[in-house]
Amino acid sequence: MFFRILKQSFFQGKKQKFLAILTILLSSSLITALLNTSIDIGDKMTAELKAYGANINVIPKSETLSLEIGGVDYNPLKGQIYLKEKDLFKVKDIFWRNNIVGFSPFLKKDVMFDNNSNQKVTIVGTYFDKNSPIPDEKDYRTGVIRLNSYWNVEGKWPKDDSNNALVGINLAQKLGIKIGDTIKLKHNNTKAQFKVSGILNSGEDKDDQIIASLGPVQKLLNLEGKLNLITVSALSVPEDDLSRKSRRNPDALDSLEYDSWYCTAYVSSIAYQIEENVPNAAVKPIWQVAAGEGAIIKKIQLLMMVVTIAALFASAMGISSLMSTTIMKRSKEIGLIKALGASSNEVYLLFLSEAIIIGIVGGLLGYVLGCFLSQLISYSIFSSFVSIKLVVLPVILSISVFISLLGSIIPSRMITKLLPIEVLYGRK
Amino acid sequence: MSDKKNVLKIKNLVKSFGDVKALDNINLEINEGEWVAIMGPSGSGKTTLINILSLMDDISEGEFTLAGDDASSLSEEEKVVFRREKIGLIFQQFHLIPYLSAVENVMLAQYYHSVTDEEEAKKVLTKVGLGHRLEHLPSQLSGGEQQRVCIARALINEPEVLLADEPTGNLDEENEKIVLSIFKDLHKEGKTIILITHNPELGKHADKVLMLKHGKVDKG
Repeated sequence: MFFRILKQSFFQGKKQKFLAILTILLSSSLITALLNTSIDIGDKMTAELKAYGANINVIPKSETLSLEIGGVDYNPLKGQIYLKEKDLFKVKDIFWRNNIVGFSPFLKKDVMFDNNSNQKVTIVGTYFDKNSPIPDEKDYRTGVIRLNSYWNVEGKWPKDDSNNALVGINLAQKLGIKIGDTIKLKHNNTKAQFKVSGILNSGEDKDDQIIASLGPVQKLLNLEGKLNLITVSALSVPEDDLSRKSRRNPDALDSLEYDSWYCTAYVSSIAYQIEENVPNAAVKPIWQVAAGEGAIIKKIQLLMMVVTIAALFASAMGISSLMSTTIMKRSKEIGLIKALGASSNEVYLLFLSEAIIIGIVGGLLGYVLGCFLSQLISYSIFSSFVSIKLVVLPVILSISVFISLLGSIIPSRMITKLLPIEVLYGRK
Repeated sequence: MSDKKNVLKIKNLVKSFGDVKALDNINLEINEGEWVAIMGPSGSGKTTLINILSLMDDISEGEFTLAGDDASSLSEEEKVVFRREKIGLIFQQFHLIPYLSAVENVMLAQYYHSVTDEEEAKKVLTKVGLGHRLEHLPSQLSGGEQQRVCIARALINEPEVLLADEPTGNLDEENEKIVLSIFKDLHKEGKTIILITHNPELGKHADKVLMLKHGKVDKG
């Protein structure tokens, strides 16, 4: 009988019900959109921030040995131990391989101009956009064109394994080098020529260097198959307490924390796995990038939470006002039910059940609208769609029912105060 | 002395609203199966008295015993239970739930009393001559039919006392006769009926008449 009463009574006061559902719909759609975006924002922001360069550096272990006396570096192995080019694929052969966006190998050394000036210059060998087969992807391509999209090249990017090169803008200005010029270089007894295909403006130390394809540079330096830096761009989750703890001291993690840390795509755990996998490598996350990402994402999520709470309260107030009107309108009915022997709790149950239905209907419709809204938001900000999270649905339904009940609590207290005699006879 | 069970007893009852005494020194005893009419002009205190008898209002002074219990000492929750267990209410304005059918309105009283039994609800509606209007909404029924639904709702839980407030006040002559005949039948069945009315025709059939005037029993 209760459901029969509920069913019939739910379709009373259609205007109020419609407005109540609309109120819940608007707030739940906003919350859905914010939640959907908020869940994805970490990945989206990380992907955005990847455009600003790599967040992990892989260097030979010997570089990390410190033997400095009076400001003079006495590390006997410095600059002598190299990473191997044939181990490059191992960077992307870890548990978090799908999070590795790309990597660029570098071999950097000072050489001399092969002219009478005897001037020193730094040459850097790298991949521009080279096929670098990895176990699951034989046609995988990577290099600085993909990773360092902020590098601005006037002219053309050199082809890999060609003798074309980029000249840093500062160096070009200093020496009057132009596109199309040929640069002659020598190292020990080896000589090489590079044709300038473009001028590089990177805003980094590369603006004072010559950037060429890795193979010819290795040949010039007589270091075939060798590297002294790999920069890696990895999609990572923002830093939190656990990752900061591991950063301070990985040994301080207990086994549960360790498993959780290892299986989360923190920049530190990705770095750790690369170090495990690449021989003779010391892997250093670029903390400024990682911490910056975390801070930005945290602030955006906080902002979203504030908006969500504001939406929640605004709609609860709306529901409260609508519910008050409904109860006033149906006071005779409430008085009669009480006169027939219903307790205040039984009347509450009827109105709160209606509130739950309003919450569920409004929440469901709000979820659908919110998913659409989140796509609009994501596309307009990140130029890509967010994935629809089903896990958001139960959360939204719970929030919608909570808003609806919250808005109904104060008006429902009027039910207790309604006496049958007042509403049936209009007086006390 | 009658050997019938005493259903209701009020002694020296006073009901005041501020300084105004709406009811002053009312005494009344009603036994099982009696039909009592409370009559009097407008403003004489009839409705105030029936509100007290239906436990919807409190007394200011005096004693009020209903079905052997001191009704004046009951808490609000106990009054709710008492009302649904022992009293059947019939209103002048019918007070039916507009979105429930005739049978659902009757079942509503069953629901708040104990459990619903649709067949039983239909049977009572048939008894008051509405077997053909079971699924109609109040808006689809005439005033007389709505009042009969109200009577069926009051009867469904077999209360100890039927309290009717001007049950024919809003009805035409034809429907008044139908309702009167229902009350007669109920009286024959041994129901205890307390009825407020202006209508001398209804008062004529009562075993006992309490005439009120300005809140007091008019003995003239």
